[in-house]
Amino acid sequence: MASIALENITKAFGKINALDDVSLEVKDNEFFVLFGPAGAGKTTLLKTIAGVEFPQKGLVKIDGEIVNHKEPMHRNISMVFESYALYPHMTVYDNIASPMRSKLYKKDEAHIRRQVERVTKMMQIDHLWERRPSQLSNGQRQRVAIGRCLVREPNAFLMDEPLAHLDAKLRHHMRGELKEMQSSFDTTTIYVTHDYMEAMSLADRIAVLNLGKIEQLGTPMEMYYTPNNEFVARLFGEPEINIFDGELTERSGELAVRAFGQAALLPVAPDAAKVLRGGEHRKVRVGIRGNDISFSFDEVPGWLRGSVYVNEPIGNKVILVADVGGVRLSLVVPNDTRAKIDQPVFLSLNMQHAIFFCAEKGTYIVRSNAAQHVSDAPGTKEEG
Amino acid sequence: MSAPTGNTYSNTETLVDTQKNKRAVTALQTFGRSLGLGLYSLFALFPLFWMVLISFKSDREMFNTLFIFTPTLENYEAVLLRTDYFMAFFQNLIVSGGAVLVTVVAGVPVAYALARYNFKHKEGVAFQILSFRFAPEIMVVVPIFLIFQNIGLLDTYLGLIWVYQLITMPLVIWVVRGYFEDISVEVEQAAQLDGYRWFEVFIKILIPLIKPGLVAACLLAFIFAWNSFTFPLVLTGFQVQTITVTSMRYIASDTVRFGQVAVAALVAITPQLIACLFIQKHLVRGLSFGAVKG
Repeated sequence: MASIALENITKAFGKINALDDVSLEVKDNEFFVLFGPAGAGKTTLLKTIAGVEFPQKGLVKIDGEIVNHKEPMHRNISMVFESYALYPHMTVYDNIASPMRSKLYKKDEAHIRRQVERVTKMMQIDHLWERRPSQLSNGQRQRVAIGRCLVREPNAFLMDEPLAHLDAKLRHHMRGELKEMQSSFDTTTIYVTHDYMEAMSLADRIAVLNLGKIEQLGTPMEMYYTPNNEFVARLFGEPEINIFDGELTERSGELAVRAFGQAALLPVAPDAAKVLRGGEHRKVRVGIRGNDISFSFDEVPGWLRGSVYVNEPIGNKVILVADVGGVRLSLVVPNDTRAKIDQPVFLSLNMQHAIFFCAEKGTYIVRSNAAQHVSDAPGTKEEG
Repeated sequence: MSAPTGNTYSNTETLVDTQKNKRAVTALQTFGRSLGLGLYSLFALFPLFWMVLISFKSDREMFNTLFIFTPTLENYEAVLLRTDYFMAFFQNLIVSGGAVLVTVVAGVPVAYALARYNFKHKEGVAFQILSFRFAPEIMVVVPIFLIFQNIGLLDTYLGLIWVYQLITMPLVIWVVRGYFEDISVEVEQAAQLDGYRWFEVFIKILIPLIKPGLVAACLLAFIFAWNSFTFPLVLTGFQVQTITVTSMRYIASDTVRFGQVAVAALVAITPQLIACLFIQKHLVRGLSFGAVKG
């Protein structure tokens, strides 16, 4: 296993910048997740590490050694392609055995058989050995592709959306398997995904890519609790974080936020207020997650007044979207909540958990108690 | 209980009825299809059959008999034993086979480059190659004759194989290019990461995938080269003779020896027939231009 470092990687396809001065370091045995929307440059970044795409500028280092001029075959990197890239004319067995049959990584047939057995069992495709890729479903193809990747002992595993085409149940199972594999064999893994739950549950660290640039690099907790900007904040969490405009005002010596054109003021926690006062902000953007909003259908003095816009039950929870002064806020409410559309609803925002962003640039300013949230033990990771 | 039973019964009856109808329709369809195909094959194969018949007829019976005549082998004897027709046959095999071989060795890499790499005027180059097929052979054959005369390629295997590239190369390049384009680049990249050299990737991954197209295109190219008439007529003479030119010999100035022409033609089409039968599977799959992905 090896560490991987990228220094100032720039790559353009024609006039489009796929990667723009990207630098990052993946430590030995780290599970590193590249996260971002479609077209962010995640796949190009992976291929640059693998050596099948070449950066126009910058260095790729594996274990401190510059590999820009090394052929992909000599980099000893194993990759799952998003399009599976299986060999159509070979059976599942031969596909998975292929890396162990090349001159470079030659193994004897008995060893190959044992290894293929191991990974196909793990992927639950051991009954499909004799099939060809054209005779498999997409989910099965994807598992063959993962199998072909895991069968080796490379410097690093690169996985490009390896679970994207699996059904929900299998995806959950495979997520567990990958996590387990990660902890039992020390493997450096770079994992591309656009599913924030996968990113948060698997990653040691996450890099959020957007338009070829890294928006933020850090642990899952940092992404969730202290996002660098509104873009990152919106990527993590379901329902999407609510971000609204607010105006800072003083109320009997304490800082508060006026928002939605309503009389009710939102208090700011003292430690956040200190930072906000120091930064000469008057207008801010306030982010608050759906589970930090309480609601009531009966009028409560001092709460925000809104109306129900839509009510979506999604099994284990209900997402209620409320219209407050023209701004829509999504909140997570108990499963048995029944609401009629346009019914009045009263909301209270837990401002202890609010994240403040700069009104002009959308960048992170402060949240209350940030350090404590971020250092929370991994066991308390909670999704949405 | 009785009412539902009655109901069910009548339902089954209609079901059986429609099934009967369906079976009748299917039988009719099968019959119609067979009839159509039968008629077509009669239309397609009858000339061949007729050629076989007249190859056994003597000149005397050529025009006054249809199916009943005294079979004779004198045409075969005249063509195969008394002339050097077999020579022409083998020489034709050498030029056509050689032409296809050169095309494969040079054309497949060209097709790969046209499919994979982006370079200036790529489509222009591809179209230029294809356009060699548009130009009538008679248009270029005279200048080629003069050039060959000067550089000593007239009446040689090399010269003819070279000129045949005009016929075989565009076909192979265009068919194989489509096949390469259908193969995802990531398949090649995956193989490279698996530890294979580029050349190994080409042999182990790409060649098996383009094989149906390559075989079909080569076969067609071979047939076109085999049947070529204008080029060998003008560019060859005594050293190299192709079968197409030689078979014209049996059309003498005073009389056409139809029996001998038929024998010559039968011998000429044999390799094509055999090749087609053997690689029929590849031909059908290959000419569907990658529509059926293996």
